[in-house]
Amino acid sequence: MAEGDQSPRRLMTIGIVGALIGIYLANYLNILTGTAVFSFLAALGAILAVYYGADAVRRVASYGLGTGVPSIGMLSIGAGQVAVLLGLAVAKNYNIEVAAPIIALILAAIIGIFNGVMARRVIKMNIAIMEMSMTEIAMAASMLILGFSTTIAGSFAFDKIMSYVVASGFIIAVFIVGGMAMLHPFNACLGPDERQRRTLDLALSTGFIAMLVSGIAAGAINGVQAAVPTLIVAIFGWIIYYLRFYADTKEDAAAILSTGLIPKEEELA
Amino acid sequence: MFDILLWVWIILGGILIGAGVHFIPVGGAPAAMSQATGVGTGTTMLAAASGLTGLIGAGSAYALRPGDFAFTVVLGGVSAALMIAVLAFIANVMYVYGAGVPLSSAKVKYDPITKWRQDLYVSRGTEGHGSPMVSFISGIIGAFFAGCGGALVYFALVETYKAIPGFSATFANYPAPYYVSLAAAFAIGIFFLNCVMASYNIGGTIEGFHDPKFKRIPRSIVASLVVSAVGGLFALLIGVMLPGGI
Repeated sequence: MAEGDQSPRRLMTIGIVGALIGIYLANYLNILTGTAVFSFLAALGAILAVYYGADAVRRVASYGLGTGVPSIGMLSIGAGQVAVLLGLAVAKNYNIEVAAPIIALILAAIIGIFNGVMARRVIKMNIAIMEMSMTEIAMAASMLILGFSTTIAGSFAFDKIMSYVVASGFIIAVFIVGGMAMLHPFNACLGPDERQRRTLDLALSTGFIAMLVSGIAAGAINGVQAAVPTLIVAIFGWIIYYLRFYADTKEDAAAILSTGLIPKEEELA
Repeated sequence: MFDILLWVWIILGGILIGAGVHFIPVGGAPAAMSQATGVGTGTTMLAAASGLTGLIGAGSAYALRPGDFAFTVVLGGVSAALMIAVLAFIANVMYVYGAGVPLSSAKVKYDPITKWRQDLYVSRGTEGHGSPMVSFISGIIGAFFAGCGGALVYFALVETYKAIPGFSATFANYPAPYYVSLAAAFAIGIFFLNCVMASYNIGGTIEGFHDPKFKRIPRSIVASLVVSAVGGLFALLIGVMLPGGI
């Protein structure tokens, strides 16, 4: 249905591999150096997951869900959140913390498949790619939650995520802001003239806004060393991609006319 | 320590949430322009509003009387119902005095509760306006079900996580211990899972129990059963995976 220059498979690779690399680098560089300076790398990984998730939302929502685009984003974030925490707990239990993000990803895919099958086979939504899309969006959602949580906590160990992200309440900010970052781009750009590049540039821009929020939260947990690099990258990234989105919008518009100011009452008479 | 009974509560809660959505007058975008019956927003926002209020009610009830099952569940339901009542009432005030449209339903000729004529008051080209009495009552019933469902999920999760060693600690000076935060976060997740599934079932809009779409409810019950069984299993397994706590 929704075509684009970038194939879904390519975006999947960028999103999943990019997010995993970002999360792993942030965790292990932080451990190696004994600081929290590299936390921003996990948020960059999460932004790639947002990039991929926004394209998956775009593909499925272009069929028309009947309930608005946000519904599928919220559903998947809810599923992704449970999968992430269970993944981290499983890794802690079997003492394989190295594999935690991958376990979380697999669990998110499982819960996504169930959601997709229910939506298509039981609810009987007439969308052929429903199962695949639900799985993809749940996977992207799990990666973005884990990415932003790692930025806030400085590590993806269960204990740290539990106390710094869940118990502190930042999980709800990650839930809503991360969900918005993923579902807003298509919600804002949908229509007959929707174009992949414009939607995805907006996804990167909203991703950097989510990174800004996680940077502020990281400052509350790990102090200035975590907050400053995250905030600087987020602000510059947001400016760059917002300008790029603005340029795309101008390029896609049929014409831009200046209407001038609204005439005053005496001028109308 | 996997408790089957708590898993059953989560599944039952999920089904109640899914069923509750079918009673709530969800108007969607057309209702926002007073061109359809119901509250003028989508299920996601209505669920967030009433579900989170229900969760706050259930959380406060549990904090006051820990372990009191009936108190938690009923207070969760009442809080959610109260939220929908306020929401539908304020929306009705805006429809009547702001947009200037009479409250009416296009799906029935006579309101089943008040027996008032409906079809004469539906403007041409629209599907009704605002929440008439039947939708309003239906919404309160639905929100009560959904709120009870959300509270059941919260109760099951909080009982599970309370048993994990180390989860009674608090973050900094916060009064709420870890298990409350985790149970609340997951209850929101499971709430969204079920209410979005139900809203796909009704195709985004419904007027209440008098709407023909209400007959689709069995499908939603099956979907909620499976979705909340998987989600609930994942959430409860966290308790199994942390025998030593944190």
